[in-house]
Amino acid sequence: MHSILVIDDEPDVRDAVKRVLDRAGYSVRTTDSGVDALAELGRVRTDVVITDIIMPKIDGVQLIESIRKLFPAVRIIAISGGGNFGISAYQPTAITTTAYLASAELAGAHMGLTKPFESNDLIQAIEKVLGVGHA
Amino acid sequence: MVRLRTSFATYVSVCVVLVHLVLLPVLFFGMGYVIRKSHEDLFVEHVRTFARVLAEEFEVGVGLDSPERTEDLLDLAIIHGEARYAELLDQGRGVRSQLSSPDILSPRHTDLGFGQGGDDIYFIVLPVVHAGHNAELRLGFDEQPTRDRIALALGRMLWLLAAYLGVAVGIAVFLSYRLSRPIHRLGDVSRAIASGDYAQALNVSTGIRELHELASDLEGMRRELVGVNHRLQAKIKEKEISEVRREELQKQLRHRQRLETVGTLAGGIAHEINNVLVPIILFTDTALQDLPPSSASRADLVRVLAAARRAKDVVKKILTFSRELDDAKVAPIDLRSVLTEGLQLFSVLAPPSIEIRTEIDQGIPLVKADATLALHLVINLCTNAYQAMEGAEGVLTVGLRYQEHADDGSVVQPRVEFWVSDTGHGMDSMTVERIFEPFFTTRSVGQGTGLGLSVVHGIVESFGGSIAVESEIGAGTTFRIFFPAVTRAELIDDTAAPAA
Repeated sequence: MHSILVIDDEPDVRDAVKRVLDRAGYSVRTTDSGVDALAELGRVRTDVVITDIIMPKIDGVQLIESIRKLFPAVRIIAISGGGNFGISAYQPTAITTTAYLASAELAGAHMGLTKPFESNDLIQAIEKVLGVGHA
Repeated sequence: MVRLRTSFATYVSVCVVLVHLVLLPVLFFGMGYVIRKSHEDLFVEHVRTFARVLAEEFEVGVGLDSPERTEDLLDLAIIHGEARYAELLDQGRGVRSQLSSPDILSPRHTDLGFGQGGDDIYFIVLPVVHAGHNAELRLGFDEQPTRDRIALALGRMLWLLAAYLGVAVGIAVFLSYRLSRPIHRLGDVSRAIASGDYAQALNVSTGIRELHELASDLEGMRRELVGVNHRLQAKIKEKEISEVRREELQKQLRHRQRLETVGTLAGGIAHEINNVLVPIILFTDTALQDLPPSSASRADLVRVLAAARRAKDVVKKILTFSRELDDAKVAPIDLRSVLTEGLQLFSVLAPPSIEIRTEIDQGIPLVKADATLALHLVINLCTNAYQAMEGAEGVLTVGLRYQEHADDGSVVQPRVEFWVSDTGHGMDSMTVERIFEPFFTTRSVGQGTGLGLSVVHGIVESFGGSIAVESEIGAGTTFRIFFPAVTRAELIDDTAAPAA
């Protein structure tokens, strides 16, 4: 059974993704931050990481870079709803979902998925990244 | 004290007259004295000479011996010597010419000067000595003719001086007029310059060096003034233009900032909603899988899923506005085929009460845009136009026009104008001002998100194009989108690149 780690600062997103993947027969664990995720990866063998990109402390792109360095065998799927953090983090050029996902892929993610996605999209993505690993 | 101001000619004339009023009497009395003196001297000289000659005639002749002869000689003095009185006294006996004026008394003295005695007669008494006789010749000459001649001469001189005064004043007036003409001309031009007319040159033709130099100096000043004035006007114009340009740029900047702020906000909202939609969609999906096919709740959950997917689409539109255009592939496309396709799709939507016309120019070049997004623009603008004419008959016209040298204020570049014109209800200027702002809508709640035209604006900007709108209440609205045209050079580069 493949082991999956889901990282997102939104509990509802974490739980929803976990519910879908549990039903699909995967062993799923969740964390709410990149720091916890790195600790968890060191403790438990993990096949696939699903990570959000916009998160406090360590953002998704930094996390992906660390995982690629420390755990090169782990497959990574980046998920993002895009947009900005709002006015307080105003950025003159609004960064888009695709831009986030593109930077995630640049950092080493095997795939990007735009929020919101359907159950089937998620499962296909998992199968795809695992399939890449098997090939 | 009253200070009189008078013209140059009058001033000079009055001065000349005043000078002559002083000089002419002096001249008159001086010359009068000379004339009078010379006439009197001449008279005295003449009568004395005559008297001497007559006395000698008595001395050398026989006059004293013959009373007849004596009388003849005395008559001669009256007739030819212009004397009024002639008498010879010899040894107490006096012989007097019968021609003498009877009213003249016998004088016993000699007048020393002309006019002496107050009797208008000049008396001379001369001794006549001849052969024992000691006689005395007494003659009296009339002074009046000499006085008349003097008066006549003085009168003539007076006339002469009067004529001289007249000529002098005439010459003075003429000269002052000649002098004042260039001064008047300088004055006229100076006044014209003072009132803002710098065009007249100060070319004064005069033989007077000082005036000529003054005119040249003033002309130099005028040229300098004209130059300074031109430079000032040019500077003011430049400033006005830059002011207008600055205001234009500020307006554009404010517009951009507003769009960007709202865009950023929209991006943030989109992120939040996307995160919320993930559990909704996924949990509903799993719940649907758990429910038996007969469950009444299935239909409800299907609707929840459908609603969540609609929300996803709305968010996608919001993100399109906040530059979610990375998917767009800007490439040379043919707007004519995009327009044809768009009109085909739109004609299904449009009611028969609306007439659709097309005005597509010949030789429309390719433009830089994304074909799908361009189609989206066509449908969006056509839909807006049709909604503006809703419930009434109307004409919707779409067109394409090539502008080889379009000047949008900053760069001159070839562009293709795509325009959509309706005969709908039109918009007021306030609505036109805000039409491209996100969430600005004139439609009632539930009819639209208000994102349509802000999305159109975002798409057009992502192509490097621009959009403009003109509207008149009751007459209709025209939207113009300017696409950057692909130049021949760019086309050659694009086709050459893959081959290399």
